[in-house]
Amino acid sequence: MTQPDSSIPADSPEIIVPDTDVIRFVRLRRLWEGLSVLFASKIAVAGLVIVLFWVGVAIFAPLLTPFSPLEQDWKHPNEGPSEEHILGTDELGRDLWSRLIYGARVVLVILPVSQNLWIPGGTAIWGVFVALTVGTTLGLISGYYGGWLDEITMRLLDAMMAIPVILLFLIIMTALGASAVNVVIAITIVGTPGIARLVRSLTLDIRTREYIRAAETRGESPWYIMFIEILPNARGPIIVDAMLRVGYAIFAMGTLGFLGLGMPPPSPDWGSMVAKGREFILQGSPWAALWPSLAIASLVVGLNLLADGLREESMRYQ
Amino acid sequence: MAKFIARRCILLLLTMLLVSMAVFMITEASPGNVARNILGAFVTPEQEASFLAQLGLDKPVWLRYVWWLTGSDWQAQKQIGIPLKRIVTEKGFVEWWAVKKDGTLVRWKLIGDDLMAISRKPDGTFSRAVDNDRWKTDPQGVSVFRGVDTDNHVVKWEKGKDRKVWTFIMGSGWKETSGGPVEYIPLKKGFIRGDPGISLRTGRPVAKSLFIRLRNSLVLAGTAFVIVMPLALLLGLMAGLKEGSLRDRIFSVGGMMFSVIPEFATGIFLILIMAVWLQWVPGATVFGEQAPWERPDMLILPVLTLTLIELGYVLRITRASMVEVMRSPYIRTAYLKGLPYRRIVATHAVRNALMAPITVIMLHVNWLMGGIVIVEVVFGYPGLGKYLLDSALYKDINALEAGAMILVMVAVGTQLIADIVYTFLNPRIRYG
Repeated sequence: MTQPDSSIPADSPEIIVPDTDVIRFVRLRRLWEGLSVLFASKIAVAGLVIVLFWVGVAIFAPLLTPFSPLEQDWKHPNEGPSEEHILGTDELGRDLWSRLIYGARVVLVILPVSQNLWIPGGTAIWGVFVALTVGTTLGLISGYYGGWLDEITMRLLDAMMAIPVILLFLIIMTALGASAVNVVIAITIVGTPGIARLVRSLTLDIRTREYIRAAETRGESPWYIMFIEILPNARGPIIVDAMLRVGYAIFAMGTLGFLGLGMPPPSPDWGSMVAKGREFILQGSPWAALWPSLAIASLVVGLNLLADGLREESMRYQ
Repeated sequence: MAKFIARRCILLLLTMLLVSMAVFMITEASPGNVARNILGAFVTPEQEASFLAQLGLDKPVWLRYVWWLTGSDWQAQKQIGIPLKRIVTEKGFVEWWAVKKDGTLVRWKLIGDDLMAISRKPDGTFSRAVDNDRWKTDPQGVSVFRGVDTDNHVVKWEKGKDRKVWTFIMGSGWKETSGGPVEYIPLKKGFIRGDPGISLRTGRPVAKSLFIRLRNSLVLAGTAFVIVMPLALLLGLMAGLKEGSLRDRIFSVGGMMFSVIPEFATGIFLILIMAVWLQWVPGATVFGEQAPWERPDMLILPVLTLTLIELGYVLRITRASMVEVMRSPYIRTAYLKGLPYRRIVATHAVRNALMAPITVIMLHVNWLMGGIVIVEVVFGYPGLGKYLLDSALYKDINALEAGAMILVMVAVGTQLIADIVYTFLNPRIRYG
């Protein structure tokens, strides 16, 4: 539905029903084009390498370190890098490398729901995913239906966007208490208005196209039109936005952790590691604060490089 | 235009009202107990109950919200039937007194079964007299009296029911007294009448500490702003002048990096480099009673952190705007007309390129406030953000509400200013 397919040569005989091979070929070629857009930009590749590094260490964390992130060693607190602890230890003698990569795990790979239960997909990823789902639905509905529904939704979201983000985080997290699921909820609440606005503006534009008119004439249901006709055609800006939002969600997670509102204490959380390590900087052991700061900085920068490179290249490509 | 501004002002008030309600309800619903936060874990239930009653915390949440918003004196006045007056003594304390018909100020105290009236003379001296005529018998046959006590409450005393009172004095502990009433209404003027109440955490009026904190934050934000704006606009214009050049690449990627790294990480890097390694500046801020500008060396790192983060953002916006302007037909026309390059840039491009950044920066204030909170926590800077965080964690509702209202006011206010400024910069825009 996007554009006339350029992959089918214009001078070929009329193809009424493209057979499956052609479809597969077209899909493969699309994928290849997407990847070549990615690889054409050095910035995007640099970002991708950083992000893949963190995803890799997060997935294989248990294989990459002999220490558990919670294991305390009272004899070696606040040490610098050594052969045994490659990044040093924190104030309780916990191995910093192990805490760092398990911290990455919580951000990118697993969402700890309760003490013994976790589900795949990191806390930041879930936060963005839920915000995307809610925001997209709201945006589609208010953009497609318009009228008073649109008016009410948008005024409410406006009011929410007027509240300073930090205040929203503070209120939500002090009310819900510190836990990974609550971080997801906080990220969702803060992220939803922006996504809804974006999707709404895209919907308003797409709604006027002929194929939407055609679908309406065919008698498709509004939900079909919203999610099958409009949403796929709005995906480009949404994807770039989502990638930036993952970066921001990691930023927010770190900030919440730093303020003591993120994960509950013993769990390896980058933000709270910095907050704790900060107290020991002036006593001569900067490592506990340095590594997680570097980790979060590199990951966020990596994601933004990736999103930036992609956006720039795809603009040139168009 | 006037209609537009009026509508936005109403929206601002509405947002503030909604936020204040939300803060109140959420603080109420969240786990934790302010009495335990203040009094510690070793407190008897009687002490806790007495403490809660004196602060009015035993009342339902909607009533406390109404009192917080509009004050409790009008309701208390109706109950006791004597007008109340709020005075500020020479030492700066706020006191509530009942005003008798002849204009003298009076408060009461229960000593045994006797009511003692304390009158305040205009010269500031007091006189005491037994005032037992005021007891009234209620339908159950109990002698009751409603009046003002010496601790700024409207209270209901019952004869023969001499309750123990535990007063908690911040810093020194419990004081046990007798002559307690059965019911308290703590007197306050209410937020909309300019009284944000007393901080439960410090026991001092919120307004006093809040303004010092606000001033400190403004010094921090203002200094950063003064440094960031010219620098970021200049660098952004330079980067946008030649899209895709090496200078553009370095500026925009560098700017992006600084603007997306969380403030606390930037702060830690700066502390490690500037304070620990090079030992140029102190790595934390300790002001005591001093104002921030009396120790400018301690301001350097917080300001630098804020500067780096804001610099990247403003730079990127300016750059994008400049790139767009340089591509536009009128710049090409200016070229073709044979104008010198310098003049094209200075008179045609720059003015139009600065339009977008100036308004976007205003909209960015919302995010900037988050940055300030983090920077204040990183460096232990005694500003509004840290005050807000501490109050939220402590469930200090009066302080939290006051801080939240200031933040909302700043956020919505700057958006309004941005919209108005935009109409001046771009006359094509009209608000209906």
